[in-house]
Amino acid sequence: MNNAGALLSKLGVRLIQLSVVFVVVTFFTVSLISLVPGKPENLVIPFDGTAEQTQRAEFRKKNDLDQPLPIRWARWAKRFVSGDMGNTYSSTGSSPVSDKVKDAAPISGLLILYTQVVALAISIPLAILAAYRNNTWVDKVISTLAFGALSLPSFAVAIVLSYFFGVQLGWVKTSGYNPLGDGLALHLKSVAVPVIALSLGQIAVYMRLLRSDLVATLQEDFILMAKSKGISSRRVLWRHALRPSSLTLLTVIGLNVGNLIGGTIVVEVLFSIPGMGKEIGAAILGRQYVALQSYVALIAIFFVLLNFLVDYLYTVLDPRIRERGA
Amino acid sequence: MRIGSPKNARRRRVLAGLLAISLTATACGGAKSSDKDGDGSTLEDKNLTAAAGESGLEEAGAPVRGGSVVYGVEADSPSYCLAEGQLAISGMLVVRAVYDTLTVPNAEGDYVPYLAKAITPNDAYDEWTIELRDGITFHNGTDLTAEVVKNNLDAYRGKYPGRSSLLFTFVLSNIDTIDVTGDLTLVVKTKVPWVAFPSYLYSSSRLGIMAQEQLDDENCAKNLIGTGPFKFEEWKENTSFKAVRNEDYWQIAPDGEPYPYLDAIEFRVSPDGQQRETALQAGDLDIIHTTNAQTMGRKWAGMRDKGEVTMFVSEEQAEVAFLQLNNTKPPFDDLRMRRAMAMAADRDQINQIMNDGLPTIANGPISSGTLGYTTDTGFPAYDKDAAKKLVDEYVKEGNKAEFVLTVTNDPDVKKLGQLVQTRAKDIGVNVKIQTRDQAALVTDAIARDYQAMTFRNYPGGDPDSLYVWFHSGNKEPADAPANPVNFAGINDTEVDRLLDEGRSETDPAKRKALYEELNNRMGEQVFDLWTWFTPWAVVAQPNIHGILGPALPGDDITKPVPAAGADDAHSPSLGLATAHSLIGLWKTN
Repeated sequence: MNNAGALLSKLGVRLIQLSVVFVVVTFFTVSLISLVPGKPENLVIPFDGTAEQTQRAEFRKKNDLDQPLPIRWARWAKRFVSGDMGNTYSSTGSSPVSDKVKDAAPISGLLILYTQVVALAISIPLAILAAYRNNTWVDKVISTLAFGALSLPSFAVAIVLSYFFGVQLGWVKTSGYNPLGDGLALHLKSVAVPVIALSLGQIAVYMRLLRSDLVATLQEDFILMAKSKGISSRRVLWRHALRPSSLTLLTVIGLNVGNLIGGTIVVEVLFSIPGMGKEIGAAILGRQYVALQSYVALIAIFFVLLNFLVDYLYTVLDPRIRERGA
Repeated sequence: MRIGSPKNARRRRVLAGLLAISLTATACGGAKSSDKDGDGSTLEDKNLTAAAGESGLEEAGAPVRGGSVVYGVEADSPSYCLAEGQLAISGMLVVRAVYDTLTVPNAEGDYVPYLAKAITPNDAYDEWTIELRDGITFHNGTDLTAEVVKNNLDAYRGKYPGRSSLLFTFVLSNIDTIDVTGDLTLVVKTKVPWVAFPSYLYSSSRLGIMAQEQLDDENCAKNLIGTGPFKFEEWKENTSFKAVRNEDYWQIAPDGEPYPYLDAIEFRVSPDGQQRETALQAGDLDIIHTTNAQTMGRKWAGMRDKGEVTMFVSEEQAEVAFLQLNNTKPPFDDLRMRRAMAMAADRDQINQIMNDGLPTIANGPISSGTLGYTTDTGFPAYDKDAAKKLVDEYVKEGNKAEFVLTVTNDPDVKKLGQLVQTRAKDIGVNVKIQTRDQAALVTDAIARDYQAMTFRNYPGGDPDSLYVWFHSGNKEPADAPANPVNFAGINDTEVDRLLDEGRSETDPAKRKALYEELNNRMGEQVFDLWTWFTPWAVVAQPNIHGILGPALPGDDITKPVPAAGADDAHSPSLGLATAHSLIGLWKTN
């Protein structure tokens, strides 16, 4: 009963957090975009004749643009929580935002997943090596490379990689997206460069964080105990030191998704990948307030749920947290 | 197929650390910044003109059927419901896949029948009889009839129920009535004599003819049905547009089968110019279009000469890049300041920095190959001292010599803005640069809520097309132009007179003289700061051919259309700024 009660209590807290994040993030976003010059009605109905003025007034009324921002937001929020993400503005017939999300979200989701997998697959071994060789030239080289990778903007990396690996070597695609249905090899070729470009910065951050925690953990008594029992260094590092050192890494993985979503806007536009990043970019440039609010809301919800998952994974990684909670 | 790789297998690959690569999007000329100046060559010197033709075409042999092509374009359009959509330049290319227009331009600059069989004016040029070709069907199997064409034209001019036209209500406002007089014949009456009417039936490929089903569809933007060489298959906004071969296309190729040669075409949106070029080299795009004069000269010309790409370049009927000045607000409501800025800008030097000096300097809005083109329009030559004097005179009267220059968020456009800023400072004018995205820029232009902005417009064709942009729209003299599309706020009775007379003048020699006078007026009054004419290039994989397409169809559409026109009158236009035909594209293995 206590466990069930604790769980319900946690869920309740999360729901409240989610609601607050949802309200703040979406209202803030639409407030910001409303400040940018160029109104939707002017883009959709660009000319200033008498007939166009009437059309614009009708357009504004139809899309709640004649309402003050809080009321416009509230009406959108009410529809959103009932499952209606709204429609795009257009002079020739709008289309549901949900259709765009249905197509684009899985693609961006895959990109982000691949990026995280690649980043972890590279950063964890590097961090272990750097921690094991703490303060040696190996550690210094790895740290320097990490700083270098951190300072490279992902779009610049993407352009250079696509030239080198795409044009010169022909190993990857430089434009367009192939879903899994087109074959695994082709699919991976079409996402390789965007994933590598996005993961470089993540590798650097994850490597540095994990290395620091590992260095601290390796000073602990239980590590000394493990070594004195004759356990190999490899086993000590991977089996005993890695797990307790991963909590910070896990936190940052969850928080970094926000960065990645921003990064996908650039790489998806560059590589003509029809993901959420591209849709968000198009919504901003097209002053699609409703679409933008819905996209941001979905991302906020996803972000909160993801970090909820991260909290749960803490208890898996560290039984002490689980027991403390119990 | 990847370009260059088999031949360059042993080329040393040098990657020099972190490259500061700027994103390039559509821009008026200019590639990534480079320390290396151009070598002083012109487009002619580098064989980068329409006269050079499409590279490799003669050696390519006979066209081959089959295959598909991925065409990299710079932007998507918000809608392909033609009466209501606002097509980006890339959009004009896309619509040529699915739709045909009643007329098309030929290589002489005339507008000749295309879907129409004949377009005949009366003696006064205020009544036009359009006779359609028989036997043409839309993609849904319905016939092309005069009734459908009338409904299309009414939709374009805002007179068709259920469709809300935007731009074309202004453009076609001179149409008075349209009457169907037979299954395939209709008569269009205009309010004033309209010599250039056939050119408006093309309107940079924007006036495609839609099937009745699409015209009446609430979902017009997604239910695309035309008579074009390709049938609409799928449109993913801002990503790709796919179309497949129209097996029943009305034009027959020399092999006796209908055009087009390709099985399918995909237009893939690739906004970054640099990445679009990389994708072509990597083989992920088959064909691209570009206005980047630097890469045309520095990269593509060399690759073309080695046979590594197919390329066609044209400055014919080109758009002009310019600084649009707001003539309704200070400081550019004063001719002295407009002239001062013109005299301060060493355009040759700026053209050299931005474009390696390749494009032709423009002294007015009318480009070479267009009626009314003149080389010396009276546009002020570079003279810094004279410019300073004008500014001093302006300031002594208590005015402020300063303005805000609005530019888009593109590195090359910003670079141009900075060059203008430094030149202005030299003559005592303070310029502040303000960045806007494209959408906001257009909004500012429409509202005339700016002082100066970078712009590119006025692709060639008939000079009557300038009527929409430059006529004040005032019936009586007024303080400001009534015409909402007159972004520069030009309110000049002489310009109005020349445009009105040019529209209705039937004598070709007099018409030419009127438009030359207009071009000169636009130059000497410096309503805008003209810079250069923007060349366009189509660059493709070396196994892609047929960029301009075959000869124009004759009267009898049951007979094959030859691969090339016998003369300019029967050959398609050499201009690329308003797209090109897609029916002749073919691809070898």
